[in-house]
Amino acid sequence: MRRAAALLLLFAASASAANLRDVKDPKKIAAFFPPAAKLRVVNIWATWCVPCVAEMPQLKAVDAAFGPELALAGVSMDDMIPETTREKVVTFLDRQKVSYINLYYSGNADDLTDFYRFDGEIPVTIAFNRAGKELWRHQGPIDSANTIAELRKLLRRMQ
Amino acid sequence: MKRLFVSMLLVAAATACFAADELAVGASAPKFSLVNAVDGKTVAGPGAGKLSVVIFTCNQCPYAKAFEPRIIELARQYQPKGVVFYAIDPNDDVKYAIESLGEMKSRAVEKGYTFPYLKDGDSAIARAYGARVTPHVYVVDGGGTVRYRGYVDDSAKPAERRTTGLTNALDDLLAGKAVSNQATRAFGCTIKWVPSS
Repeated sequence: MRRAAALLLLFAASASAANLRDVKDPKKIAAFFPPAAKLRVVNIWATWCVPCVAEMPQLKAVDAAFGPELALAGVSMDDMIPETTREKVVTFLDRQKVSYINLYYSGNADDLTDFYRFDGEIPVTIAFNRAGKELWRHQGPIDSANTIAELRKLLRRMQ
Repeated sequence: MKRLFVSMLLVAAATACFAADELAVGASAPKFSLVNAVDGKTVAGPGAGKLSVVIFTCNQCPYAKAFEPRIIELARQYQPKGVVFYAIDPNDDVKYAIESLGEMKSRAVEKGYTFPYLKDGDSAIARAYGARVTPHVYVVDGGGTVRYRGYVDDSAKPAERRTTGLTNALDDLLAGKAVSNQATRAFGCTIKWVPSS
């Protein structure tokens, strides 16, 4: 009985959908993208950000619309709040069934806003090419249909 | 040459758009007359002849709440030096009941605010200042000129704090000096705007 419970727990743990990694230096975020991805999309968000949470289904739809030519990575700014834990983000991503890469950013907020040159409001979504050149940006929650169309346009131009 | 001129115009236009967005350092701070949630009285500011701190904050934003103890601490530290603090909640209280005057009063009393907690009921003052997030801070001198805008500190975690934007500005101004770091990038929760009529 105890073994069955342990197996159940193990299964529950392995069933976690969250793909959460850790990063402290904004310059290292690009390294988390798979080499095959021609277009790399960064979404900066937090579980405490109401519009970010509302945006999550739209991001999942964007992720589902593309193959390996595009990779999406969420960058969580949850750690900016003193009492927030990494586990909270994992739980949230699991509950939302988010499987694309997410990074738990534990550096300085100012370093991240500076690196991505956004004005301190989240969510913000930015697309880059492999060389790290910014190709597209959207401040505020995205709409999946418009975003998919924009990203497809960018991919066509990259061919 | 024509292309260069067009590019320069575009850059100028982009710069102008950005500057118009957030009140620039050196601009005249908009005056306000708002209801203090704590006692229901109307408070006018920023006060002439006083160094003032105008902080856009709210009840619901975890990042604003993380800075709340720091703001209370700084108010206690700088009020005896003659600095006037105003906390302004610009969030829509129709959509978010937590931003109502009653909830604001409860919060201010519970936390021991030593400064008025003002309701910007139509978000007009936040729009006039070009505030974007909570918390978003402006320091206004006695002549009504914005001398600092941006964050309180660059981190809500005391151990990770590297730049203290607000205290740096206040210390410089109280010492009669120019502010060494006049503008920083405020980070926080997007203001929950009351739709403009």
